[in-house]
Amino acid sequence: MTVPAWRDGLRRVFRAPAVVAGVFAFTLFAALPLALALRGALEAHMGRSLMADAAAEAVNYDWWQEFASQASGLATTFSPAIVGFAATLDNLSSVLDAEPEVLPITAALAAYLVAWTFLSGGILDRLARQRPTRTFGFFGASGVFFWRFLRLSVIAGLVYWFLFSYVHAWLLDEGFRRLTRDVAVERDAFLWRIALYMVFGACLVAANITFDYARIRLVVEDRRSALGALRAALRFVGRHPRTVIGLYALNALVFFVLLGVWSLVAPGAGPVGGLMWVGFVVAQLYLLARIVLKLQFIASQTALFQASMAHAAYTAAPAPVWPESPAVEAIAGVSSTTLR
Amino acid sequence: MHGVMLRSKAAAAALLLVGLVGVEARQAGVQRFDRPQPGARSPRNANYDIDVTLDHAARSLTGRETIRWRNISANPTSELQFHLYWNAWRNLDSTWLRERRLAGDSTPPRADAWGSIDVTRLRVRRPARTDGSFGGIRTNPSFAVQTEGLNGESNTGWIDLTSEQRFLAPDDGNAEDRTVMGVPLPFAVQPQETLDVELAWTGKIPRPFARTGYVDDYYFIAQWFPKLGVLEDRGWNTHQFHRVTEFYSDYGVYDVRITAPREFVVGATGCRASLTPEPPVACAEGIVWLGNNYPQNTHRYWAADVHDFAWTASTRFIDVRRMFEHPGLPRVEMRLLLQPEHAGQETRHFDATAATLRYYGEWFGPYPYNHITIVDPAFQSGSGGMEYPTLFTAGSRLIAPSRVPQPESVTIHEAGHQFWYGIVGSNEFEHAWMDEGLNTFSTARVIDEAGSPDRLALRFFGGFIPWVIEDVRLSRATDGNRLTGYRDNAEADVQATPTFRYWPGTATFITYNKTALWLHTLERHLGWPVLQRIMSTYFDRWKFRHPQPADFFAVVSEVAGRDMSWFFDEAYRSSNVFDYGVQSFTSTRVRLKPDTTSEVRLTPDAVQSASEGTKEPNGYRTVVVVRRFGEAVFPVDVVTTFRDGARVTERWDGRDRRIIYTYDRPSEGLSVEVDPERVLLLDVNYTNNSATLELRAGDASLKWSLKWLVWLQDLMLTYAFFV
Repeated sequence: MTVPAWRDGLRRVFRAPAVVAGVFAFTLFAALPLALALRGALEAHMGRSLMADAAAEAVNYDWWQEFASQASGLATTFSPAIVGFAATLDNLSSVLDAEPEVLPITAALAAYLVAWTFLSGGILDRLARQRPTRTFGFFGASGVFFWRFLRLSVIAGLVYWFLFSYVHAWLLDEGFRRLTRDVAVERDAFLWRIALYMVFGACLVAANITFDYARIRLVVEDRRSALGALRAALRFVGRHPRTVIGLYALNALVFFVLLGVWSLVAPGAGPVGGLMWVGFVVAQLYLLARIVLKLQFIASQTALFQASMAHAAYTAAPAPVWPESPAVEAIAGVSSTTLR
Repeated sequence: MHGVMLRSKAAAAALLLVGLVGVEARQAGVQRFDRPQPGARSPRNANYDIDVTLDHAARSLTGRETIRWRNISANPTSELQFHLYWNAWRNLDSTWLRERRLAGDSTPPRADAWGSIDVTRLRVRRPARTDGSFGGIRTNPSFAVQTEGLNGESNTGWIDLTSEQRFLAPDDGNAEDRTVMGVPLPFAVQPQETLDVELAWTGKIPRPFARTGYVDDYYFIAQWFPKLGVLEDRGWNTHQFHRVTEFYSDYGVYDVRITAPREFVVGATGCRASLTPEPPVACAEGIVWLGNNYPQNTHRYWAADVHDFAWTASTRFIDVRRMFEHPGLPRVEMRLLLQPEHAGQETRHFDATAATLRYYGEWFGPYPYNHITIVDPAFQSGSGGMEYPTLFTAGSRLIAPSRVPQPESVTIHEAGHQFWYGIVGSNEFEHAWMDEGLNTFSTARVIDEAGSPDRLALRFFGGFIPWVIEDVRLSRATDGNRLTGYRDNAEADVQATPTFRYWPGTATFITYNKTALWLHTLERHLGWPVLQRIMSTYFDRWKFRHPQPADFFAVVSEVAGRDMSWFFDEAYRSSNVFDYGVQSFTSTRVRLKPDTTSEVRLTPDAVQSASEGTKEPNGYRTVVVVRRFGEAVFPVDVVTTFRDGARVTERWDGRDRRIIYTYDRPSEGLSVEVDPERVLLLDVNYTNNSATLELRAGDASLKWSLKWLVWLQDLMLTYAFFV
């Protein structure tokens, strides 16, 4: 079921180009204001200096370090780590190593995630229905499910907060220190770190999968209760672990392949002019691919769920197959708060 | 006019004479009798004969030493002072740990991390013969002490002073600090008189502190034995162990026997020596075989004309050797003790060391020993990047991209310390810049000259995964001399302050960075040939001696042929910041006067009187205002470029707060640059040094903000994982 669900998910994504384009535009415009603010700061610092020449044509590391010396807030994020594939590594590393972002970035990320939460309802609804829902239908679904998703996000937020504040600290701060305190060979310490990343990553993935299916069940089954959807998601994952994990792993594999390709083609600094725009377009194509992949996660998981629960389509009524039907759950005496 | 010229010449001659006399007087050094012994390179006034046993299970050392010490100061002394460095990690109240807290690290060491050293016996004796000549303490029959003192068979002349030990705190009065031990003598040791001192001690090896300690089965043992301070003409110079300073001691011969478990590979200061006279026994490779049933080996190391002794032991070292050979320089055997996980990096270590021996040898003076040991430290040993006579620690990583200067940078730096610190024995407590700063400058020069890797790498995922930023090339002038660190801490301390009194959190930037920057500034100001002669003269004059800052400055003025004290008043004796920049730059249309040629610089009065009239403008008035934003003064060039390609260079002494240049020319002004050759590397803000009317800031900021936009989009999508 894994591969068919994966293929079905990909088909659903490619048949929803408006969603892809919308998410792309949303991401771009969410980041644009801060980029404009940084541009202003860079331009103000360079002023009329000839240092701008070298910065325009290549990398002026001398100027860069001078800028960094006086930078504060948002401007402190302007570092060599933004160049090429280093940017992706930097971002992944900062998440895995639980490195906090500066306040303007944190605020922007928070707003972005809230906006994603809003749009997720419409995205899921569209991918589940497998037919165009038009703008009003999309945003209508977004509005309908936003508050339910928000309630679910509160729970998710608590879980992720616990993972990053405690589990991460136990594993990758204190745990890593204790395990490697007497390690005199870097390779051994590195292997320990990888192992701890895998443990922490497994926790993250487990949480992620659960909340993904909770969102799916909220939308596909039009559930009201976030807690109920969460419990239902746990049941679903618990009953289909191999296919659920297999599908997730397949999507993750594609993600790593994408990263590998990006590491080879990511543009460097380069000069202003045509090459600059070519590099920018290549980068946007990479980001577009990541968005497609993100939607693929959602779509393929939705396809898997719908196929598993024998939903012929979004509006099809489920056959009363024990125990996978909400109707069955209703008559089986499950708490009414979990049902519509 | 003629009379003025005559008087000026006489004054100049008098100044030169006074300068030379002053130089000569300063050349006397801090110890009156610090000339080399006959047949030796150094005074050899502090000779150590040491036996030490490593107890791997207990993580401890047990040692016994006999010091033959000669008073080479101008005055007698009735006490001895010793460094007991490991007591810096005895408890939280030591000066070293207090200063570490001040620097922001308040994490207390773990229970098993502490170190200490305790002297269990101390006695002294005037030897039967005090001819002061070098000889193997053990085997030279002219010294009656060998068969007596060490084995306790006879007590002839020995005076037990064990109970007379007391701890001193000459720097901060910290009664809890036990890193300086004083012992009063029942007699005075006269200048040129020799004294034998015998000590027994135990040492608790710490977890890594200040490059000393153990991790797993790797040991790096430095500052491990009771070491005499330096008796100067002004008295004992024996500082407490500070967080930001290193060491200072006299030159001598070290004959050391290290007993360690058989499975350990040992490296140490010294090795084979082919000095004259020959050592009494073969050294270094003289591993004493005690038989198959004995679990230990005794490694004998011998080194002459050194002022310290460090050693290392590990069961994992890969021992590799290569020979350094270069025309005109002595051959040197290079021994590399490599971590197995760095196998494949041998050549990088050897090439970096060879580059140091070559270029330092050509520029300053040849490396005088025929051996050098490079130690690749174990992971988390904390012993990387440190120098000891004829032995140093480098530092590499499991993944070390070839285009990034690791391990090259640290290898060249620490190998370079053989010259600045090892051979020129400046006082690292008081004037750390004299070795660290000179060496940082020299290191950057070698890296540049040798074509070493020069790319920037960032490390991710806990620091294990490097990624090379191909577009960023590290430059010698700013990155090699560490301008960034200096810029952010330029006013932290006056460099002339004794180093041990620097603020712990910023000392490095004044010691390393600032010195390298003003040295490179001198190079650009005087020219490399002059600076190279300065440094080689200083090296030659002060090798195996203890120079003071004034000695270095005297050599600078002497070789440069002019008084350079003005420069050191600004760069060394003050913490003022250098910052010259363009305050304003305009070029407006004007009607030129009929006789205006292509190059007219107007005085302020002429600007007022220049007539523009009501006729059409036919030229440009370009006004350049250059300002001294900082408080430190340095002469700078100001170059104004015009659209017709002409360039006008002005030389400004930089003393006033600003200077105004005005040009009436047919061509519009295009740009102005202050110090375009970047002679003044201490200038903390080079962005303001130029201005142009053809702005590129918009283009540059667009390009970089687009890059940053992609980074932020990527970050947002990464966080989208959670929704």
